[in-house]
Amino acid sequence: MAETTSHDVVCPFCGIGCDDVTLTVDGAAVTAAEGTCGRAAELFARSGAPAPSARIAGRDVSFEEAVAEAAKRLGASKTIAYAGLGTDVDGVRAVLKLAAKTGGSVDHYASEGMFRNLASSQRKGWVATTFAEVRNRCDLFVVVGPDPSKAYHRVYERVLPATGRFVEGPRRVVFLGGAPTEDAKSQLEGLNVEIIATPEGGLVDALSQLSALVAGSNPPGASSEIKALAEALKAARYGVLAWSAASLDDDGDLVIERAVSVVDTLNVTTRAACLPLSGKDNLTGAYHATLWNIGFPLRVGFRDGVSDHDQTAYATANAVKQADLVVWTSAFRPELPPASSAAVIALSHPDTVFNIEPDVFIPVGQPGLDHQGLAFRADSVVGLPLRRHRDAGLKSVADVVTLISEARA
Amino acid sequence: MSAVRIINGRVLDPANGESGTVRDVVIDGGRIVDAKGFTGATETIDARGGVVMAGAIDIHSHIAGGKSNITRLLMVEEQRANREPAGDFCGCGGGLSTMTAHATGCRYAEMGYTAVFEPAMVAANARHMHAEMKDIPFLDTGGYVVLGNDDFLLDLISSGAGQQAVNDYVAWQLAATKAMAVKIVNPGGINAFKFNQRRLDLDEANPHYEITPRTILTTLIKAVTELGLAHPIHLHGCNLGVPGNEDTTLATIAATEGLPLHMTHVQFHSYGTEGDKKFSSGAAKIAEAVNANPNISIDVGQVMFGQTVTASADLMSQHRNRGIASPKRWIGMDMEMDAACGIVPFVYKEKSFVNALQWAIGLELFLLVEDPWRIFLTTDHPNGAPFTTYPHLIRLLMDKDFRDEHFARLPKAVRKHSIVGELKREYTLEEIAIVTRAAPAKILGFKDRGHLGAGAVGDVVIYRDDPDREAMFTKADYVLKNGQVIVKDGEIVSIAYGQTHQVAPDFDSGIETKLDRWFDEAMGFKAKTFKIADDEIRDGQGAVTHATTRSA
Repeated sequence: MAETTSHDVVCPFCGIGCDDVTLTVDGAAVTAAEGTCGRAAELFARSGAPAPSARIAGRDVSFEEAVAEAAKRLGASKTIAYAGLGTDVDGVRAVLKLAAKTGGSVDHYASEGMFRNLASSQRKGWVATTFAEVRNRCDLFVVVGPDPSKAYHRVYERVLPATGRFVEGPRRVVFLGGAPTEDAKSQLEGLNVEIIATPEGGLVDALSQLSALVAGSNPPGASSEIKALAEALKAARYGVLAWSAASLDDDGDLVIERAVSVVDTLNVTTRAACLPLSGKDNLTGAYHATLWNIGFPLRVGFRDGVSDHDQTAYATANAVKQADLVVWTSAFRPELPPASSAAVIALSHPDTVFNIEPDVFIPVGQPGLDHQGLAFRADSVVGLPLRRHRDAGLKSVADVVTLISEARA
Repeated sequence: MSAVRIINGRVLDPANGESGTVRDVVIDGGRIVDAKGFTGATETIDARGGVVMAGAIDIHSHIAGGKSNITRLLMVEEQRANREPAGDFCGCGGGLSTMTAHATGCRYAEMGYTAVFEPAMVAANARHMHAEMKDIPFLDTGGYVVLGNDDFLLDLISSGAGQQAVNDYVAWQLAATKAMAVKIVNPGGINAFKFNQRRLDLDEANPHYEITPRTILTTLIKAVTELGLAHPIHLHGCNLGVPGNEDTTLATIAATEGLPLHMTHVQFHSYGTEGDKKFSSGAAKIAEAVNANPNISIDVGQVMFGQTVTASADLMSQHRNRGIASPKRWIGMDMEMDAACGIVPFVYKEKSFVNALQWAIGLELFLLVEDPWRIFLTTDHPNGAPFTTYPHLIRLLMDKDFRDEHFARLPKAVRKHSIVGELKREYTLEEIAIVTRAAPAKILGFKDRGHLGAGAVGDVVIYRDDPDREAMFTKADYVLKNGQVIVKDGEIVSIAYGQTHQVAPDFDSGIETKLDRWFDEAMGFKAKTFKIADDEIRDGQGAVTHATTRSA
């Protein structure tokens, strides 16, 4: 088959949603052209080797046999943990429908950071913003904690180009309690970049002080740099506090709560917003589809046809301890299922190399490469249309899960 | 699907002038056919003692999209307390003011609704709204794209690009987001709030673009008129909830200069400043203006007492309201050079002067606006109350004794400030059929909905003729969707899905070049990624594009 090149391909992986990827496809082989970020290029690349066979306990079987075995195991299990959930919105829908029938818990493997965000947004709320608002309005961008570009590679290029439509003069970027990577520095060239270091474990204190300062009080121990930042935020026309919740430490809940409070106070007199980033492998889409279908933001459990929500009990790490079967879905990358004593059905990326062979393995296609679908950007509002760019004979998670569901006795 | 013949029912079909004729209604191949001429085999439904109406249509209910999801997130207690009961047709969701997709379809269908429109689809969030609508069973749906705060449009207007360029842009947005109509929320105000302006009156200039809400409104009214859209501009006006906004509302009506305009949740825009509490009813003045201006239609946005959550694109207003949040939490969001959203949970209290007067103002509007073809039954779900309160509202309108009984419970100060007790009008069944069926279909431009004539879709409802109108409209005896029985005795008995409606007037492709550049530079991604393809709507099955009378 002749080689084909697709331009302006939408990248589904980290949640920034770049749409300038060029893919060259030759049979099943895929190469991403130069200009694609390194991580995406690696994830898009496929060798051209035929997709692996489905397997039962390591033995190659037909697709139909694997589906039948998966259905049988679902029927024989008492407690099922649906985990991974690295799939497009249709895949999430299918998993939720199946879980509603079999009972069990549902969570996304990268949801830990998102629940840190929800600890603030769900209980108190916040004022948030999206990429294009930051890009055009933000005159002071504060990175809270570790540099998010480690996970969101091209984030600065997207949200902080040198000039913004409504920004007078050069933008200021402040890294509070973190430092930009070399790559981040090159994305931020031409901007005023400052670093305010905080002592180990001192980020919460720094934000508490900032919160008090913007509210007009004078907290003890605030450094001159923090005081200056508070003044700058009050003077800014559209200050933004951004963070990647997944890369914050264990006190991430508190860091976020304080950052939210800074923004809340600022909005009384000027404009400001939070840019909370969390969204790898369509985490944001899984969150949305679970909210609109079930009414809760992931970590849902089903029993006797009624759903429930428990952020601790239904978190994957806890759910797999109670489960006798884990149904793992990971279509975007060869991510491994969590270690547990439960049996495992893995609907996984074809290149997955397992440490422990799953009881049933069915290779699935990648949304945005093998089939079309919908994912969400990490700022929550914008949906990303994913298209099909090759035919490697791989079915979508939604199709496989629906077939398994139909095969149940 | 076999044909269905409904016999012995009293047919209430105001669009065709039938007010209680006993005749058969036959549905074949999903459409209503001439009952006398039809001789094929049918399944028969005996509607003796019942009233037969077309499926109801809600022109304004926030059922899908990002802000609905934020309401679900914030109202987790409500979600826990309201789970869908297990059963063959359960979607395992729940909620009341924050109902999940499947539950939304079920609860609407049980009341006899078969089409519901989301009135605030922010363009940047359109893909989300459409994805969510795919999971709502039973209902035909569509969204109104929110324009009038988008930087591209404000830039076009303020730079003097001209009406034709605006028309092209509006048509482009309708096609790109697969929208049914154009909504304006607080024209220019949401945008001004991003520049830190806290209020914006009809003739006050946006701090950056230096154009007024009046200019934005009249330009967009002209655009949809010239594009030939059936539905006029759907306007959430300036100064929502602000005492004294009756003047803004009257000035807005005058600003239309006779061109069609639909003003939404007008209850929230009918406030005066009389009395000790500087809060009074402007309903009489507004109703008088509506009666005098046949180009104006309104929906009410009736308030009902109890817990709900307010969800709006109007972050300027919602930021102002954040202090009255109950429970004490709220979320605001600026969105993509496009609009915003603000979600504030709220409890309307019967003993609160303001809340009780809001309730009364809504009813005054219903009772004082004379033409039932120009007023629509809404609670602005969930902002005034969940849509599940419609049957109660219908009884308030149809039953004066019942209404007076409820009015008597309000604080004395409220009774002194409202004329609800003096209003004798009782809606007839026919008028209810108009405000919930015939008129919504007309104002959305549907020729084949909202009536029971040959050629109409087979969305048909049978209610038992219960003197307790609340009970009557809570659970229909039968609901048919495209001729399929989906509700029997008030319970869901089968699943069906509706379609998504949109318009797509032509535009000069020159606007595409401008938008390509805008997306590359301002938005940071491509216009072609933004545009929604046909196959994204209900997996390519079920999008209906309606003709517009004129193209660009």
